[in-house]
Amino acid sequence: MSTMAPTRKPSDFKSELKPIWCPGCGDFGVLASLYRSMADLGLDPSQTVIVSGIGCSSRLPHFASTYGIHTLHGRPLPVAMGVKLANPELTVIAVGGDGDGFAIGAGHFPHAARRNVDITYLVMDNEIYGLTKGQASPTSLFQQKAPSTPFGNPEDPLNPLAFAIASGASFVARGASFNTKALTELITQAIEHKGFSYIDALSPCTTFNNTQDSWKDAVIDVAPDHDVTDRVQAFDLALRGGFALGILYRQERTSQTERYRNIIEKAKPSDVNIMLDSFNARKGAAIGKG
Amino acid sequence: MARHSVVVRLAGESGEGVISSGDILTQAAARGGYWTQTFRTFPAEIKGGPCMYQFRLSDEPIHSHGKDVDLLVCFNQEAWDLNWDSLGPEGAILYDESEVTIPDEYLPRARPVRMEKLAKEIGGSLRAKNMVAVGAVTGVISFDTTPIEELVLRRYAHKEGVADANIAALHAGADESADLKGTLPLAPPVEVSEDRMLISGNQAIAVGAIAAGVNYFAGYPITPASDILEWLSVRLPQTGGLTIQCEDEIASLASVVGASYAGAKAMTATSGPGLSLMSELIGYAGTAEIPCVIVDAQRGGPSTGLPTKTEQSDLNHALYGGHGEAPRIVIAPVSVEDCFWATIDAFNYAEEFQVPVILLTDQGLATRLEVIARPDTSTIELTTRKTSAGVERENYKRYEYTADSISPMGIPGEPNGMYVSTGIEHNEYGHPAYTPEIHIGMQNKRWGKLEPLKNGMVRHAQHGDEQPTDVAFVGFGSTFGPVREAVDRLRDQGLSVGAFYPRVIGPFPADAVTNFTSKAKRVIVPEVNFTGQLARLIRSETGIELESVAKCDGLPFTAEGVFDLVTQEVAS
Repeated sequence: MSTMAPTRKPSDFKSELKPIWCPGCGDFGVLASLYRSMADLGLDPSQTVIVSGIGCSSRLPHFASTYGIHTLHGRPLPVAMGVKLANPELTVIAVGGDGDGFAIGAGHFPHAARRNVDITYLVMDNEIYGLTKGQASPTSLFQQKAPSTPFGNPEDPLNPLAFAIASGASFVARGASFNTKALTELITQAIEHKGFSYIDALSPCTTFNNTQDSWKDAVIDVAPDHDVTDRVQAFDLALRGGFALGILYRQERTSQTERYRNIIEKAKPSDVNIMLDSFNARKGAAIGKG
Repeated sequence: MARHSVVVRLAGESGEGVISSGDILTQAAARGGYWTQTFRTFPAEIKGGPCMYQFRLSDEPIHSHGKDVDLLVCFNQEAWDLNWDSLGPEGAILYDESEVTIPDEYLPRARPVRMEKLAKEIGGSLRAKNMVAVGAVTGVISFDTTPIEELVLRRYAHKEGVADANIAALHAGADESADLKGTLPLAPPVEVSEDRMLISGNQAIAVGAIAAGVNYFAGYPITPASDILEWLSVRLPQTGGLTIQCEDEIASLASVVGASYAGAKAMTATSGPGLSLMSELIGYAGTAEIPCVIVDAQRGGPSTGLPTKTEQSDLNHALYGGHGEAPRIVIAPVSVEDCFWATIDAFNYAEEFQVPVILLTDQGLATRLEVIARPDTSTIELTTRKTSAGVERENYKRYEYTADSISPMGIPGEPNGMYVSTGIEHNEYGHPAYTPEIHIGMQNKRWGKLEPLKNGMVRHAQHGDEQPTDVAFVGFGSTFGPVREAVDRLRDQGLSVGAFYPRVIGPFPADAVTNFTSKAKRVIVPEVNFTGQLARLIRSETGIELESVAKCDGLPFTAEGVFDLVTQEVAS
């Protein structure tokens, strides 16, 4: 991101592997937006780590020419946190689907948000399980028919944006795979944001839950007078605003990386020999104490 | 005549000062130059419940906590009811005269102590009750109170009057047992110049991790592993690393995997329930070949089980837990001192073989305090992983087949090492691939790289005869201490006896065990679990005939109990 960074093209971030997604899949649009955003930011591919879970969209790291971790189902967030804490210089982007993030992995989401882990989390939300062939997901609609909900989904959907705002995410936005220009801009701002940035990317599954046309009709832009720093307004927009595209909430708050840096800077330097001395039997080791 | 070993047990209600009394006496003994080892039981309750603190003192190095209690101190009636049967044949008793009734036949060797009464008179509350008890103990075992007074003065230096009251309570307690004075005379400690430490297994692991160069620790609170998390929370930032408490054990190991991917030496610590949750990630780290260290301080299972008691029942889980067949290394330290060295080994093996390493301890080993010789840190050798540094971008293969099956690992920031780590089967480049040739090749690679661990690279623990002709003990982990003491006593009786404890138990050193046991009339396998997991492992790996001694009472073995296994015929 420095001024010395070489100019990069979106194609520089393409790997030699071709996406395995179905024709028309929304994830193509998300991937294209991500390539362009990384190019716009001039990211160094070797300083960038894309972390995913399991699912159609979680195959994404294989299609990018950066470092990547294709983790387990539901686990991209804690893995991404470990990467970022171990090397804060890296740009860390977690990606995955709505099942990965909000069913099996939902236990990690609020903690990544409240810790303000300095990563971007991009969820490709298609309201369905695609890889396992069309079962209902946590964001599937009430009464939606699917192989696992033959009488219509008896459950109400989870609201990822409200979940993110309630959990303490410091950047919350919605984009759409069919609006790559705006999505690219959102991803760029999310990566530049210090702290946990969450993007819910509407990304239709054209094979098992083709919502493309209805979503195109439903989306609106976040109103220009929306105050992104007002958490209550953001929450209201997430709950009642329909498919508003854009940034719902943005907060300046110290990131997890900065907080740990402070802890380390304030710690009194020590080494293994000093620590062994603290257990010296003759000097009266402090039992049970650090 | 002075004795070389005295076993003292303090018992009462949690919160009465039983644990602090034990800690003070142990600390003072260590300060005074004695070797000590402790053994505690904790109630699983949040507050209250019966607790017990046993410590053994000796002027010579000791390896077990002792069996027959020489001096039992009862803070209340329940303490007597639960502990009287641990008394040795001549064991003495100290008891609170206002709380406890002792059966007539024990009265000749029992002394009432006015614990509560004196505490109230001297300190105005029950708070000094434990110091009265401590004083009474020092009287009986002729234990110099000077180190205790020093500790009290230091501890209460900032509180005027409190130190004086505690010292007065200490002296009053000693007067209470004056007529038992010298009945359990402990030989004076041998003056030595070497540095010794008083440390627990968990603490030895934590400081061992520092010695190994750990940068990142993530954990979730669980008995009996939490103090590793707590200790490293203070200490790791002092070396520039960090410790984080995660939302669960899955996140803990997941973040450790992420940190290691990014180049850190990373570790987590848990107990059985946490290890269960980590199973899938252990498989991931094994498949994606990411170094990491996982401490499992075993406790009584199954399920929530006996959270505060000891057991060695996670061996199968450590060796095989998880779906598919994922490689891992399992190390079982045999003593508190070995917890330090085994942790360094764990990091070195993780780095060298790019594999998850499970360090298997248990509640007994993890929480007991022991006096050990200070480890000589100048002898520590550290290993770091093979990386992609210097490899050309075009030729880089993360999972390249090599002579030793160890491939260069790309670390983010290194321009030529970019790859995607994945748990899906993959080719040498790390690209998803599922042909028979690739799966066979990669399983061969992932398991084959561990072969050197079976063949002489590991220093296993051994005691007594190298190829015993009478009795060969084979075990793992914390039972080594009592077994080695039993081996010494059996050899004193003219028997040819030895113990062999694989420190790396997975992959299993089958040839070494076969060789060790080849001449023995009896092979005995002691372990603290129900199904005899180690015995089954040895049978399946070597086919040797053995006697499985599996007990699951939540308590560690004693040297006396192991001795009796040999002298009293075992029903196999």
